[in-house]
Amino acid sequence: MATQTTTAGNYPDMARKGTAFYTQIILVTWQNLVTIFRRPAALIPPIAISLFFLVIYNSTLGEAASFIPSLGSNSYLGFILPLSIVSASLSGAGIAAQNLVRNIESGYFDKLLLTPIKRSALLTGTILSGAVILGLQAALVLGVAVLMGLRIETGFLGGLAVVAMAVLLGLGFAGFTMSAALGSGNAAVTQSASFVFFPLTFLAPTFVPLELLSGWLRIAAQLNPITYVLQAMRAIINVGWVWPEIMTGVLACVLLGAAMYLLTLWALRRRTKRN
Amino acid sequence: MSNREIEIINLEKRYPDDVLAVDGVSLHVDAGQIYGFLGPNGAGKSTTVKILTTLALPTAGTATVGGYDVVKEAGEVRRIAGVALQDVGLDPLMKSLELLTLQGRLFGAGRQEARVRAEELLRLVGLEEAKERQVGTYSGGMKRRLDLALALVHEPEILFLDEPTTGLDPVSRRDVWREVRRLNEELGMTIFLTTQYLEEADELADMISIIDKGQIVKTGSPAALKASLGKESLNLAFENRENAEAANELLAQTAERTQLDRVTLRVYRADIARAIPHIMEQLHDAGLDPVSLTLTQPTLDDVFLQVTGSAYEAEAAASQAQPGSMAVSD
Repeated sequence: MATQTTTAGNYPDMARKGTAFYTQIILVTWQNLVTIFRRPAALIPPIAISLFFLVIYNSTLGEAASFIPSLGSNSYLGFILPLSIVSASLSGAGIAAQNLVRNIESGYFDKLLLTPIKRSALLTGTILSGAVILGLQAALVLGVAVLMGLRIETGFLGGLAVVAMAVLLGLGFAGFTMSAALGSGNAAVTQSASFVFFPLTFLAPTFVPLELLSGWLRIAAQLNPITYVLQAMRAIINVGWVWPEIMTGVLACVLLGAAMYLLTLWALRRRTKRN
Repeated sequence: MSNREIEIINLEKRYPDDVLAVDGVSLHVDAGQIYGFLGPNGAGKSTTVKILTTLALPTAGTATVGGYDVVKEAGEVRRIAGVALQDVGLDPLMKSLELLTLQGRLFGAGRQEARVRAEELLRLVGLEEAKERQVGTYSGGMKRRLDLALALVHEPEILFLDEPTTGLDPVSRRDVWREVRRLNEELGMTIFLTTQYLEEADELADMISIIDKGQIVKTGSPAALKASLGKESLNLAFENRENAEAANELLAQTAERTQLDRVTLRVYRADIARAIPHIMEQLHDAGLDPVSLTLTQPTLDDVFLQVTGSAYEAEAAASQAQPGSMAVSD
């Protein structure tokens, strides 16, 4: 060890004041993003899967376009794209939760708790890092769709709106997977939790519009928040600014997100409760 | 400003599975003291540190750190105390410069301030060259030094070190010791240190409590603890256990006290130096000539042996873990 010395009192306030809430959130988000991008191996497969869905469904089900109304100038691509974006949201959320588990397992999470950080900042920062990742994924998927010939009816702003909605939905997913991470502190359990929402993407007007669904599937789809997100995205891409559908989609995201945020907060309290 | 003291009164920790990890511990640490909490594995050292650093709650008793109650004023305790736990909690994907800067910023330093502080601490613990490397590539000793640096970021007034040198090689161990002493002398930091190495406690601590099975069995300065045994001891090593036992029976009659540890017999009595010729004669007559003979001042090892009555397996176990050091464990 070096013989250098440090002097007491250089930072007289440091230990006392802590740092502003928003700074805490930014720092935690940054820490998560830095480490997430240092493991590209965990990042690439989910994007690949989203793109795979897009290409496969488009080429196998492309003919279905003939009986799907209101596709505007788009082919079936415009109908199936939102599914691909929603699955990108799901996997992006999973990545943030995986990183949280990593921190819990390494003990770094406990170290952070010994600083004057607010627990909600720790939580929000981690969720936001997930939002950044899944925003990038959704944008990438959308970009590929545009290269495949998609024309967004509402233009560039519409594209942004779709990505924003994907992020909003992903925050809810992230809340759920992070609750699993906090509850279990276990990578395998967290991984499984990311798959819980996966069936929900199919209990929805996934391949055909809601009007064409019948029986129990139709009822399930009507109860599924993802239905309204898919419909809102489809409206933006293929039809235009259809506000009732869009607002219903946003509302579905907000309700899901709020419920999941509370769940995560509760899971965090439980984990960090001293005993 | 805290009062830099630690006060523990009848602290108790009972886990849900009914294990009583800490059983009525009371102690007082003065400002600026290095306090050694010495005991075997599972004696309750880490649990005590977890309570003192607000990571766990006591089931009974009270504790204040720097005058702040560890249960009711946990936030204050965290601000004035630094902790390096036994299991280093480092994100292997982060670089040490990043970890230290982030830690500083969370404690309220500005970007520049945190950066300067991080560089300063990296110099201090000798990790300057490795600062841009991911922590996952560090050796155990490097991680330990980084963890110590992280505990120092906010210039704590009281520092908790839970077995800071367990698993380190002798050179890294000496480095940590030097650093601990320096922090204490130059910054007047109060340091609460747990260890299972007697040598470490002897080397560093102003005051020692020996803890065994959740209870403090002895407290005092290293010198006082050694003096409590009073006498120099004559250490006789025999060829085998049987001879040592036979010699023990023979000499116990005239000695104040004897202590048998494997093939070594320690004999305590007044005027031991003058009694040596007589003792040797007695042994020779009985056909129990020792293979070696030394005369030593009492060590903490002896104190530990006396208060816990177990050193023998302990030494074997610990010398495997860390060759060349006196150690105890159960």
